[in-house]
Amino acid sequence: MTERTPANRRFFAFDVDSTEQEQAGLNGHTIEQLSDYLDRERMPADPGIDDSPDCEIALRGLERLRRAQRSLLERDLERESRRDDSWVSPILNNISLEAHAGREIPLTHPSPIARLVVTEGAVRGMLRETGDRMQNVFVGRCVLVGDVSVPGAPISIRVDVTVFPGENIPRLADQLRDAMYATLSKYTELVVVAIDITVSDLHSLPDASAHEQEK
Amino acid sequence: MTTDASSFDQLDVLVRRVSGVAMLYPAGSVIATVLSATLDAVAHRVPAAPLVHIEQRADGVRVTARIGIGAAESSSDVSGRVHDAIAAHLEGGNPPVVQIVVIVASVWLNG
Repeated sequence: MTERTPANRRFFAFDVDSTEQEQAGLNGHTIEQLSDYLDRERMPADPGIDDSPDCEIALRGLERLRRAQRSLLERDLERESRRDDSWVSPILNNISLEAHAGREIPLTHPSPIARLVVTEGAVRGMLRETGDRMQNVFVGRCVLVGDVSVPGAPISIRVDVTVFPGENIPRLADQLRDAMYATLSKYTELVVVAIDITVSDLHSLPDASAHEQEK
Repeated sequence: MTTDASSFDQLDVLVRRVSGVAMLYPAGSVIATVLSATLDAVAHRVPAAPLVHIEQRADGVRVTARIGIGAAESSSDVSGRVHDAIAAHLEGGNPPVVQIVVIVASVWLNG
């Protein structure tokens, strides 16, 4: 069962630096190596990457990040404004950290010999993808707070996002929260009591006229 | 009935055929998997080791499958079907199956 965040607790700031710090490296690979692998269009095939769900989750995150970067670059060019990629680096780090399998989240089954689980990395990957598929928002960090390994234990989700120009932020946060609840309800049995969304970065396109004045 | 090795060898194909399974990942230890994959890559050969992991224990057999699933169905439904398919395939075997672990390691929301 997935419950809704109480209306009076819609936003909750958190310190992204205080959360768990996992060792970088995905099945023995770095995010840079995965980025190079994408540059080579995954050729020659590397089973050490292709056979790893952690790498697959990270690769899909990287692909979405690149698409968002390209889209922003096109807008920057249209407006003749300067390119600003400063928002990319922290997201890149988090894609690497969050793709790890992490904890195991149980799924119920009537058989006494069954042990079915979905990994924390898969859930974070889903939530990240759910957000990234929305217009003008990109998920920076996603944390599952609480004991996800205990069936029925209440947990919360903390998400921080980068928002791009042209969005009503409260409405966007509502849409993102609804989409994430729907994803969690379908693919997990987690009892989610809150999805706390922090807009940690507002990416605005520099004004072209201001850029001209600097020259 | 004694479970012969071919019954275990068929598990990869069996799991891949379960509706909703998009990917079957190696379920053994990460180090062994990386080493095996690296050696396979160097030798330009198709990986030979089964992806569904079989562990012989004193009380029976423990089977582990690590899967990726498509967006159409829930994790519970797909992993439950994988469990049921493995259980039916190995039913009545000796040594008995004492645990079937199904790990949903990725969900492909985009098909």
